Amino acid sequence: MSAGTRPPGADLPEHPDHLWREPDPKRSYDVVIVGGGGHGLATAHYLARAHGITNVAVLERGWLAGGNMARNTTIIRSNYLWDESAAVYEFALKLWEGLEAELDYPLLFSQRGVLNLAHSLQDVRDSVRRVEANRLGGIDAEWLDADGVREVCPIVDISPAARYPVLGGTYQPRAGIAKHDHVAWALARSADAAGVDLIQGCEVTGIDVRGGRVTGVRTTRGSIAAGRVALCAAGHTSVLAAMAGFELPLQSHPLQALVSELLEPVHPTVVMSNAVHVYVSQAHKGELVMGAGIDAYTAYTQRGAFHVVERQMAAALELFPVFARAHVLRTWGGIVDVTPDASPIVGRSPVAGLYLNCGWGTGGFKATPGAGAILAHTVAHDEPHPLARPFSLDRFTTGALVDEHGAAAVAH
Amino acid sequence: MRSSDVLTADVAVVGAGPAGLAAAGEAAAAGLDVVVVDAGARPGGQYWRHGPGAEGPAPGTHGRGTFSTLRAGLGRHGVRLVCGHQVWQAGRHDDGFVLRLRPVHDFPHDDAVERVSARRLIVCTGGYDRQLPVPGWDLPGVMAAGGAQALLKEYGTVPGQRVVVAGTGPFLVAVAAGLAEAGARVVAVCEANAPVRGWLRRPLAALGEPAKAVEAVRYAAALARHRVPYRTRTAVTRVHGDDSVRAVDLTALDHDGRPREATRTTVPADLVALGWGFTPSLDLLLTLGAATRLDGDGSLVVRVDDGQRTTVPGLYAAGETTGIAGATQAVREGLLSGLAVTADLGRAGRTGDGVDAGPSRSRRAARLRSGVRRGRRFAEALHAACPVPAGWTAWLAGDTVVCRCEEVPFAAVCHAVRELGAEDPRTVKMLARPGMGMCQGRVCGFATALITRHLTGHPSTAEALSAFGKRPLAAPVTLAELAASDDRTAPRTAPWS
Repeated sequence: MSAGTRPPGADLPEHPDHLWREPDPKRSYDVVIVGGGGHGLATAHYLARAHGITNVAVLERGWLAGGNMARNTTIIRSNYLWDESAAVYEFALKLWEGLEAELDYPLLFSQRGVLNLAHSLQDVRDSVRRVEANRLGGIDAEWLDADGVREVCPIVDISPAARYPVLGGTYQPRAGIAKHDHVAWALARSADAAGVDLIQGCEVTGIDVRGGRVTGVRTTRGSIAAGRVALCAAGHTSVLAAMAGFELPLQSHPLQALVSELLEPVHPTVVMSNAVHVYVSQAHKGELVMGAGIDAYTAYTQRGAFHVVERQMAAALELFPVFARAHVLRTWGGIVDVTPDASPIVGRSPVAGLYLNCGWGTGGFKATPGAGAILAHTVAHDEPHPLARPFSLDRFTTGALVDEHGAAAVAH
Repeated sequence: MRSSDVLTADVAVVGAGPAGLAAAGEAAAAGLDVVVVDAGARPGGQYWRHGPGAEGPAPGTHGRGTFSTLRAGLGRHGVRLVCGHQVWQAGRHDDGFVLRLRPVHDFPHDDAVERVSARRLIVCTGGYDRQLPVPGWDLPGVMAAGGAQALLKEYGTVPGQRVVVAGTGPFLVAVAAGLAEAGARVVAVCEANAPVRGWLRRPLAALGEPAKAVEAVRYAAALARHRVPYRTRTAVTRVHGDDSVRAVDLTALDHDGRPREATRTTVPADLVALGWGFTPSLDLLLTLGAATRLDGDGSLVVRVDDGQRTTVPGLYAAGETTGIAGATQAVREGLLSGLAVTADLGRAGRTGDGVDAGPSRSRRAARLRSGVRRGRRFAEALHAACPVPAGWTAWLAGDTVVCRCEEVPFAAVCHAVRELGAEDPRTVKMLARPGMGMCQGRVCGFATALITRHLTGHPSTAEALSAFGKRPLAAPVTLAELAASDDRTAPRTAPWS
């Protein structure tokens, strides 16, 4: 680095002077939210701020935002294929655009654009179809040919002899990344300030149902009565549903990511490739953040098989030869909760007063404010938010699926 | 991948130091097929470093004879030695283990081995110098005591003219003696504790380690010969300099280990060698899930039974990873692990090859176990006599860098605890980023844990240290290496024309 330039990350903000209280659980709440990740915290935030419901507890068995919220690659975009899902993610993206002001906290939300590469003629047809669908839905979407891709991201190898030839890509300029822990802290701070109890180290061990209606939860810190219970536990939501006596069509798979040493800014956008299961961005401090594909087997381990990482980094290097000598420092895994149609389940459950929010797959982080707002509405009105209606649990019996296997960017 | 890139064996040993050489030789003598992997160019580890242009440790090196015996044993029993390779990952596979290797330099060389696959794994990865931050410790001219010694032993380089050696433990004496013998002017050895009332007064021989007593006397004589001042209850509390070390502050410590400001003196120096004991290298063992405990010196170490078996079936550990106790103990533990792996794999061992002559294997094992217990008692006494001084954080300034990779100052760690409510090292790491850089907390992890303990009043736990020390990648690996290890062979042609 030349003298006089500021080191990477020098513009990062200071942390807030306090985060949140550490309250003991009360005996009863109007609403109990199970899961203190991004979605649980956002739901608490919107319950308090949009619906005036503050007698709320968020129960987290570990620590706040230590699950998938701390393990994702922070990509935010809304260019999904079907109207139903594009609407949800666009709703979330619009919330993202106002979230720093809403939470009065810097989230390092950077609309640096997201490229989804096309490597085959079928990819091209699918991509162009998606761009047109997005445009009809009012979402910013562009089709770029290979030269257009290079213009946006000069370090992508677009030569025709490349192992994964780049025929073009979809580009959403308003898409981008945010700093995940800042998002969690800001949501937690907001909910806490409104009076929500954020209770860490509190695992739900049972759900009390009387006469078909939820009455409370049993936890490692005692029984807690609740008028309504919202489940925001990603893949573990099916474990919770089993406690309440019903099953969910969720499969949980390990999904891995990794981070490199700090590099000078070289990668101006976010590049994803569905065909090779790779997505790469450069975080604010300079490290490359790279995601791999999911493990084929199901597991609740936050650790995946390493050959998946190897295969996908081999592909990543074909796309980005410039990164060959970057050292990988750390890998980790999260748990991707996948439904049969790769779309989320949001809404009521077979148990009255018990609400579901799960199955977001690889879309969880980008949906954070949207999922929270929609679920909060659903809980407050005991009526699915209009955007949530297509994502009801009963679509798996009616057959009204929202198949997003293509646009989820990582095949599930 | 070429098949020659993959080695298969009964037993893989990681580390060719005292423990690893002993373990490999013992297992191979019983007829097992053994592969040893080491990052060094030649076997011997950090303890037996080869002199410049020489094969084997320099004459006079402690335990040189043991090295020669062990080294010869490897050749005699056909142990395959893979030097110059780091293990960057260890995993389970079927009933055994797979190690992933990379050449220690970033460019692959011709004889690169990519994987070692073995039914049993003995981890003898040793340890490295433990460091405590002090203002100015990031200046050129400040180095780990072990680093200064390594330069001297391996290259004959004396990296300074006026040297201050400081920290705690008998290792400082060995380093200072070596530097003085090589011609450096050692202006002070600062021992933070008072070993005259501790380990020096309590005769080492009485602890059952007469060899240690001989070694200590030899170093003490060297220091006396070169008139090296040995100051107890004294620490380097600041390093001065602009581009490199110019001087150091030496300050006496009170009974709580806090600097007594009135005693501070400034001494010119151009080399500061610091050592606060050693940190065991547990990366592979933690990744494989071995259970741990906190040792008397505050280090996280792996639990083993009386055959050096960890809690993971098929996985053994010997040497410093089971508790910092020195080379003699490491050899005993290595031999014991070799005997245990032999027994566990159902090999009675060869007879009549000289190695097994004498007492029966079970009697040898019993004798080694008793030696290990004795060595453990000795180590415990040393740990008790040479603790990190409780009040050491008093010499930190707000801008003293704690994590050098991420440039995290002491003030940021304080902020994470006092303002943000972090109560354990893992949360400190999340909020302030110490341990998130190139070394992944190998250097700053211990200090971060101590600072967190000091600020919160909560004692360190094995769980907390383990959370800080879990590293699925045992060494940074380039994307190119990751890519190359993907063994799918696909044609590099475009799928259309």
